Amino acid sequence: MPALALGFVRGVEAVNRRVGRMALYLLFVLAGVLVWSVVAKAFFRPALWTQETAQFTMIAYVVLGGAYSLMGGAHVRMDLLYSRWSARTRGAVDCVTVLALIVFLAVILWGGIESTAYALEIGERSRTVWRPYMAPIKIVICAGTFLMLLQSVAFLIRDIALLRGTPIPEARP
Amino acid sequence: QGAPIRWRMQTYAGAALGEHVVKPAIDRFNAIAEGQMQIELFYADQLVPTSELFRAMQSGTIDAVQSDDDSMQSPTEVTVFGGYFPFASRYSLDVPVLFNQYGLKEIWDREYAAVGVKHISAGAWDPCHFATKDPVNTLADLEGKRVFTFPTAGRFLAQFGVVPVQLPWEDIQVALQTGELDGIAWSGITEDYTVGWADVTKYFLTNNISGAWIGHFFANADRWAAVPDRLKMLIEVCFEQSHYYRQWWYWGGEADLRVNGSKLQLTSIPDAEWATVEERARAFWDEIAAESEVKARVVEIFKKYNDTMAKAGRPYRYS
Amino acid sequence: MSHELIAVSMFLGMMALLMTGQRVFAGIGFVAVVAAVALWGDRGGHDLAFTSAIKLMNWFPMLTLPIFVWMGFVMSETRMADDLYRMFHVWFGPVPGGLAVGTILLMVLVSAMNGLSVAGLAIGATIALPEMLRRGYDKVMVTGIIQGGSSLGILVPPSIVLVLYAMIARQPVAHLWLAGVFPGLLMAGLFIVYVLVRCALNPRLAPRLPAGELARITWGERLGLLRAGVTPLVIFGAMMGPFVAGHVSLVESSVIGALIATLVAAAKRRWTRAIWETCLRGTLNVTCMFMWILLAALAFGAVFDGLGAVRAIEAFFLENLGLTRWQVVILMQVSFLLLGMFLDDTAMLVIVAPLYVPLVRALEFDLIWYGILYTITCQIAYVTPPFGYNLFLMRALAPDHVTLGDIYRSIVPIVGIMILTLAIVMAFPQIALWLPGQVYGQ
Ligand code: NA
Ligand code: NA
Repeated sequence: MPALALGFVRGVEAVNRRVGRMALYLLFVLAGVLVWSVVAKAFFRPALWTQETAQFTMIAYVVLGGAYSLMGGAHVRMDLLYSRWSARTRGAVDCVTVLALIVFLAVILWGGIESTAYALEIGERSRTVWRPYMAPIKIVICAGTFLMLLQSVAFLIRDIALLRGTPIPEARP
Repeated sequence: QGAPIRWRMQTYAGAALGEHVVKPAIDRFNAIAEGQMQIELFYADQLVPTSELFRAMQSGTIDAVQSDDDSMQSPTEVTVFGGYFPFASRYSLDVPVLFNQYGLKEIWDREYAAVGVKHISAGAWDPCHFATKDPVNTLADLEGKRVFTFPTAGRFLAQFGVVPVQLPWEDIQVALQTGELDGIAWSGITEDYTVGWADVTKYFLTNNISGAWIGHFFANADRWAAVPDRLKMLIEVCFEQSHYYRQWWYWGGEADLRVNGSKLQLTSIPDAEWATVEERARAFWDEIAAESEVKARVVEIFKKYNDTMAKAGRPYRYS
Repeated sequence: MSHELIAVSMFLGMMALLMTGQRVFAGIGFVAVVAAVALWGDRGGHDLAFTSAIKLMNWFPMLTLPIFVWMGFVMSETRMADDLYRMFHVWFGPVPGGLAVGTILLMVLVSAMNGLSVAGLAIGATIALPEMLRRGYDKVMVTGIIQGGSSLGILVPPSIVLVLYAMIARQPVAHLWLAGVFPGLLMAGLFIVYVLVRCALNPRLAPRLPAGELARITWGERLGLLRAGVTPLVIFGAMMGPFVAGHVSLVESSVIGALIATLVAAAKRRWTRAIWETCLRGTLNVTCMFMWILLAALAFGAVFDGLGAVRAIEAFFLENLGLTRWQVVILMQVSFLLLGMFLDDTAMLVIVAPLYVPLVRALEFDLIWYGILYTITCQIAYVTPPFGYNLFLMRALAPDHVTLGDIYRSIVPIVGIMILTLAIVMAFPQIALWLPGQVYGQ
């Protein structure tokens, strides 16, 4: 494979691994926020910010961890036929069908960038009493989707390499 | 004659309420338009979440919308006045008068045209009352109550110790049952009964913080322009009909359910005490007016209108 | 394009793409966005995928998902159920088929502590299965009850499947969870009856424990073992008690449960670096898998609905076919059972969302009751080949001499019992609706 393509795969996967490792711990941020919400309700006044903060954390967990979960093979496939195919056949089929993944993520990103630009332009705020700005979380969703998009392209390159008989070795999990 | 025009309209109301407040008008429009144009109605969050509704209309994904300005957070100077602006109106007829005779219609038209949206018409819904699990007889009873309410109303009510809580609309009933909420300040008694909140609260406070919700029909400006004039007129007439339906449905319903409803017990805060809330509302108005020129204009119109009504005396105002 | 044609081509396109073995969420999402961009109108539609992400974010009961997934991993990875298993083993050992009965009860308790079937299956296959096989229990019978019993995780509260259904059908989660209690117990009861009857008819299926073995265990030890049952009761009580009483929200209660489970594991000194890593990564992976399928499903649903396909299907069922409402519901369940053979439960929701929920509403059936029927069909989907989570997991976890053929044969009676439960709950909706009615007074 061309060095550029190899570099792309290595670079993308290194970044996604790092981002994903950090996203793992958002679970505890989420739990912490919810625990505080219980404590505040029991002993002080109910906090106005916990619910939305928890929701923002959750969606960040899912989109920033998205590429890492793709790399980890976490996403279920209907493997009725797939499980019976050789690695080469799978690679060939994936080469084509990974475009479905790429298109889906690209369209999410398309809508996301528009919505983010709008949020920045008008200073969009949530309609709760806490009224947080919406742009930051929309930027996070776009960034996570973009990383997943890059990961999908990396999958495509890996499949092409496999078909050309020069598979790219998996990096550490 | 070309292909039929097809519009998607999303309302901010859920299905149970939409059955009354919008569906009859849409059904009539479709019947009269005889296939030349078809409006398909979608309920709250059905196609896009309410928080993205305005954007979706602007981009053309949704052709038309029924909502108040506050709920869909429209990026205009008038957003804060949609829904329940505290004490802006006393009766539901105040709303069409304010829009058609006192110049609010022109302001709204201009504000929305600037963001690519056609403001078709404004109409009134129900008054904003508290429905609670424990009785409210004095202002002090509001202290610490976790209440589901509109954003602007929540900002205003916070000064009386109310803790405004935002939850998805569909979760309100359960939140009242499980004790996450102590009450709601969202609607009149008709809606409390229609959507099932009367089943999970016990008391209804007869004092309200606004006599009528202000809401609108909007359309994407380009889609509106593409509709032939005759159908534009038909849209306007049918939407007016929807405003009219709500006038009698709520007006009759509010009185009937107060008197004959068996699920909610009425309580009242004495007028003298409630006057302090009205007074605070004036201060709140001034605060809002100071924010921009357009807001100042709207507040000025509210003041002028209410002043005229007070001077006109009975039956317009009784105090 | 007519609405009927849109409905059929979106659906077939999705099925075809899924058959290629591409990730399920990509298949669903791709069809959704292509249909939106190509068919929505002269412009717009492309933002429906992103707004689905916002929809997903706004729906706060979804916050329970990673929390319950974490809890499931903590329970199976830290072997929290070992003592529990020993408790059931000793107490039910003397009964014919007692270990199998004890395993079913173990599955019920594990189900009351987590919202998926994975943890139950992992516990059942790694603790209970080898022990029963060693004792000469019939391998086909016991692999079957472990697969069936662990699927109770999604019917007995807490349940993630019911949280997902609640989001799609816009029904209160608390009602759905409570509605799952008695159908769950009913199904567990039928499993037990099945085991007892079969073992009575054919004692060779479940050899009794040697008398000497049980005699060696003193009554003091036996009573001591009951303490193991306290942990799940404490977790379940701490989770559901404050929630049902209204002190904490659904989401907050899940965190309390997860916190206690994590601390119990710590108190038992079960945490190691490797287990910690497995739980962390497993939680992210499972959560991402669910959330991305759900995001794609929401986008698919919105596009399908907005293109008029839902109305077309509704008209087809209600007007063209000329069926009674009960016939329609039965037809829906049958189609679910067939789809469930090929699809996973979240993918099935894609079909529930745009088609069946409005139809059920239009037929004036109770959507809470329907959620329970749906969940039972999901349980069946978990164990029916060719695509079933529990089958896959069992294949991965069972000892080698349990063949794929054994696993497939094992689920036949299990599916029969599940269909029986489904029929009973259909005929007597009060089994599901009585408890939420009592608690929330309707
Ligand atoms: Na469960
Ligand atoms: Na299956």
